[in-house]
Amino acid sequence: MDEVKNVIELKNVTKDYGDFKLDNVSFAVPEGTVCGFIGQNGAGKTTTINLILDVIKRDSGEITLFGQPVGKETAYLREDVGVVFDEMGFHEFMTGRDINIMMKNIYKNWDEDAFFDYLKKFSLPSKKKCGAFSRGMRMKLQIAAALSHHAKLLVMDEPTSGLDPIVRNEMINIFREFVVEEDHTILLSSHITSDLEKIADEVVFINAGKIVLAGNKDEILEKHGILKCRKDDASRVSDSLIVHSEVSDYGAEILVNDRHTAEKLYPGMVIENAPLEDIMIHYVNAKR
Amino acid sequence: MKGLIIKDIMCLKKQLTTFVYVISGVVVISILYVLSSRFGNLAEVGKVLLDENNNMTQVDVKNLGSMVLIMSMLIPIVSVGDMVNVFIADGKAGFFKVSASLPVSMKKRMLSRFLTIYALFAIGATVDIVLAMVLSSLTDIMGFGSFLGIIVSSASLLSIYSAFLILYCVILGYGKEQYAQYFSLLTIALSFVIIKFKSVKFVIIHVLGDGVGFDSSVFWKPLDYFRQKGYVFLLIALFVSVFSYCLSLYFAERKRGVI
Repeated sequence: MDEVKNVIELKNVTKDYGDFKLDNVSFAVPEGTVCGFIGQNGAGKTTTINLILDVIKRDSGEITLFGQPVGKETAYLREDVGVVFDEMGFHEFMTGRDINIMMKNIYKNWDEDAFFDYLKKFSLPSKKKCGAFSRGMRMKLQIAAALSHHAKLLVMDEPTSGLDPIVRNEMINIFREFVVEEDHTILLSSHITSDLEKIADEVVFINAGKIVLAGNKDEILEKHGILKCRKDDASRVSDSLIVHSEVSDYGAEILVNDRHTAEKLYPGMVIENAPLEDIMIHYVNAKR
Repeated sequence: MKGLIIKDIMCLKKQLTTFVYVISGVVVISILYVLSSRFGNLAEVGKVLLDENNNMTQVDVKNLGSMVLIMSMLIPIVSVGDMVNVFIADGKAGFFKVSASLPVSMKKRMLSRFLTIYALFAIGATVDIVLAMVLSSLTDIMGFGSFLGIIVSSASLLSIYSAFLILYCVILGYGKEQYAQYFSLLTIALSFVIIKFKSVKFVIIHVLGDGVGFDSSVFWKPLDYFRQKGYVFLLIALFVSVFSYCLSLYFAERKRGVI
């Protein structure tokens, strides 16, 4: 079997802002996968992405992109990275044509035709100032720019937040098309877990600056379950299985970390599938 | 890197559009000046100043006239090179994130900003040189060499200002461009006072005092220096630019997200 190549790798990365600390973050994004980076607002997703892209300086730890350590002298690595931020970043007076002129003088592999094709595909006027674009159009413009230099890795920070479901769905389809190529990888940060459930292969869950959960999405969904029982029965459930429980007068809802063991141990109890959103909520509440 | 210079110039597009009008204005002012100093009011003023009993010499009158012309000629250089607008536009758009995600190193990103200034000054200086060629060949106000000296000196001084401006913008971060402007002017003014303390003191004492023993030619020394020692300013500008580049790079690497 071929060895799995990691496109992104973080080892014990730390960044301390005083009031917020990204604490010993370690995870990897394998080549050819879509990695969903989830967590609530302020959990550290954007900080982590900025560290990966070297936008901000890490205090300690190691980050590698395509197997090369990220640092001062490795700007060339970004030749293969397409980036989409939560805010557009291009000047409002710029048109699609202006962006094309700028980018073709920056990226060695900039594909002018591909860029204008994307603009057409996304129904973005190339002569209109992007300041006049809606949020959805701005995100699409960023995606067009990110995809037009034949990047192998797309790093996206909340690209779907604030967008209506139709546009979000369109974007997810674009991402799907991108990962059809075997060596194409996506790191997609979002707190909209339903989007990630549709597209992600891997999931990294961050909470309060710490990685809580990382691994294959299907395995995570397979392992976790919501155990529903009466209030009195909740105390019977082994602590080692409980991630977090919510007990009320009407009954108990417990997120278990080993669904199959729980099913064997407590055959009389109902264990339902846990969607990513519920898993995220329970893990966050467990840390509180 | 070229793309970033193009982007910076796009940010100054409005400024460059105004530039066309500025050039037209300067050309008109220069023509009016030449005509007026020969046949019009300026010629009359010159005569009156010489006739009045106020110790003014022919040289003083001629230099006064030259100063007016020089001021208007410097407008093209001044009007193109205000980098503050680039910093303001970048800050407003949050472009630093985009630029940091591009395959361009911090060294090149910083260098592109300096190169933008010099490209713009080169445009302004070229316009001025053409104007100087015309004026020096049609009038006896000043020789082409003197004009050139003044253009080089002024462009150098302004690039010193811009070099400090970039440094302060990097140190202070986005949203504080106005302070960066003040600090740049203050740094240049203070440096001048420290280096030329004796001369400054001499002029102040005599201007504020009774003027006894004051030689008016002292006033024109800086003008002569500007005309003849353009290369000194150019060397200082080069030194300050290198110094500012290195220091800006140091701070930009430490702070990240400011350029």
